Amino acid sequence: MWPADSLYETLDFIKTHPNPDGGWGYRPGGASYVEPTSFCVLALRSAGDTAAAANGLAFLKACQNVSGAVGASPKGSPESWMAYAGLLAYHAFGAAAEEKRLIPWILSVEDGSRRFRPNDVKAIRETYRFDASIPGWPWTAGTTAWVEPTALFIIALARAGVPLTNERILAGVRLILDRKVMSGGWNFGNPYSKSYELEAAPLSTSLALIALAAVGHSAADPAVASGIRFLQKSLAGDVSTVSLAWTLIALNAYGPHDELLPRVAKRLAGLRKTDGSFRGNLFESGLAYLALRDISPIIRPAGRIEK
Amino acid sequence: MRIFGASAIAALPASALPLRGGQKAASAEAGEPFPVGLIRCADYSRANLLEAIRAGWRLTRPPDVRGKRIVIKPNIADFSPERPIHTDARLVEALVAHLKEMGAGKITVGDGPPHNRDTELLFRQTGYEALAERQGLSLIDLNYDDLRPIRNPNPRAGLLKDLSLAEAVLAADVIISVPKLKTHRYAGVTLSLKNMFGILPGMVYGWPKNILHWNGIPLSICEINGAIKSHFSIVDGVVGMEGYGPLLGSAKKAGVLVMGDNALAVDATAARVMGVEPGLVEYMIMAQKLKLGSLRRQDIAVSGESIDQFRTDFALDPEFSFLRAPKGPLSGPK
Repeated sequence: MWPADSLYETLDFIKTHPNPDGGWGYRPGGASYVEPTSFCVLALRSAGDTAAAANGLAFLKACQNVSGAVGASPKGSPESWMAYAGLLAYHAFGAAAEEKRLIPWILSVEDGSRRFRPNDVKAIRETYRFDASIPGWPWTAGTTAWVEPTALFIIALARAGVPLTNERILAGVRLILDRKVMSGGWNFGNPYSKSYELEAAPLSTSLALIALAAVGHSAADPAVASGIRFLQKSLAGDVSTVSLAWTLIALNAYGPHDELLPRVAKRLAGLRKTDGSFRGNLFESGLAYLALRDISPIIRPAGRIEK
Repeated sequence: MRIFGASAIAALPASALPLRGGQKAASAEAGEPFPVGLIRCADYSRANLLEAIRAGWRLTRPPDVRGKRIVIKPNIADFSPERPIHTDARLVEALVAHLKEMGAGKITVGDGPPHNRDTELLFRQTGYEALAERQGLSLIDLNYDDLRPIRNPNPRAGLLKDLSLAEAVLAADVIISVPKLKTHRYAGVTLSLKNMFGILPGMVYGWPKNILHWNGIPLSICEINGAIKSHFSIVDGVVGMEGYGPLLGSAKKAGVLVMGDNALAVDATAARVMGVEPGLVEYMIMAQKLKLGSLRRQDIAVSGESIDQFRTDFALDPEFSFLRAPKGPLSGPK
């Protein structure tokens, strides 16, 4: 765990930039959205500053609609993929009533898998080499399920204590495993396109690995092991702030004593700007804080996974 | 499925309306053809790029940029060190220099990459981060910019009657689309009109703007361009991509920039350079029917080089081999 005092400025950056509506935008002064607000309040809560987070939690509650869905903001669409972040926050703050309404909505979000006819499924398997009949989570309801939203929703549902035997979670895990790139890791979309094996990416891979850890997969699992090897390899090159943060969480989820962790943590911490922010981005600042200090709002620490 | 709430529907500025406002393109029906510049540009040297942009600016009908807020929309779909997927940042940097010479106001470069959410890395790998620092520009990830829901001003809009757009786009006086000259595995080719997919924010439309695929790519292209007008287009055909585009094709040098104020006329001309018959490209046919411009040769005044001289047949994915234009004289007056 990275020393708290060295991240004081990061918390200060977050505390300095809430909007009058109680939420946080991706950038200071930007409109409030659920994803940055959730990660800011989770960081504040981890630092014990629940008072500073209170208005943010109220904003998140205001983003929930009668259906139980959470929109990106109170004014826009009533349904958004950002609900994953809302669920993490509701759960961490013990907002049981909101959590209870949101979980069924998340479990009811349909992707396009039912809209594919058998011939479509066959053609997709031949061209892209994945099973389009497996349901997962899409970015927008009714469209194709992808690795990243599926992973994000599994992470949130598992953290909220939804039984891991839930059929949507089981199917989502199958989807993630089905979309694995043969040489290790996960791409944003397909493992293949015609004869081309697509390249894995650190962001998709780290999210997929966290989701698999959340449902109890271990580092010995072949898909996990090859994914971790991909992350280790990718760390030799340029990695973005957000990918580095999720990578740190993924490595931590599998092996809190991994020798790589201190180096990755040091690298991430080194990306702080003089104002304590990460790229001046409030979502990334909240995420990086959690990655460095406390991953428990995102995934239960290793050894405490509930079946 | 509902995508948008009913609240906070705002109007678009007049300049954003297709074929309306200060950047209005002359209609071919009125007897004035759409001017398109086909400009030789052998490489990405700054001198050659600047010369080509200035030539295209002179030969066509560019927007008045003096004191205006400009948004440049390149295609930053992804990055590969081996494949020219993205609009070359050197072209955009030369365009920025030209716009500054012309007295442009605030210049913003923005894109909402379609499937890769790791925009920080993409902007760095493609050279746009460094470009923005050198030129003191705003570089915006349109996937995560502040949003404003708007009513599509195009009365013919069907699937995208309401849409959400980035504030940076809505605040622009002039939008310049700077796509790559590429083949596309779903659309046949991807040029100025298809480049506008990246205007829509992933925050709402997800990645790879998948809802647009489900709605139908040709219709989505037309509805987006029917809602928000690109006032000028510059197609990066110095080195394009052929084969299994837009991500997995191969580099193909064409040595040209294709420029103009009507995106459909520009795209039709660029397609002809690629050896593609635009009259067979579904989204171009639909765009013409929806009066977004014209793809007909007789409605387009090509200046600079001739299409015949610069035709460089791009390899087509077998599924799109039917798009190949027959050999023979194609171009308008040199």
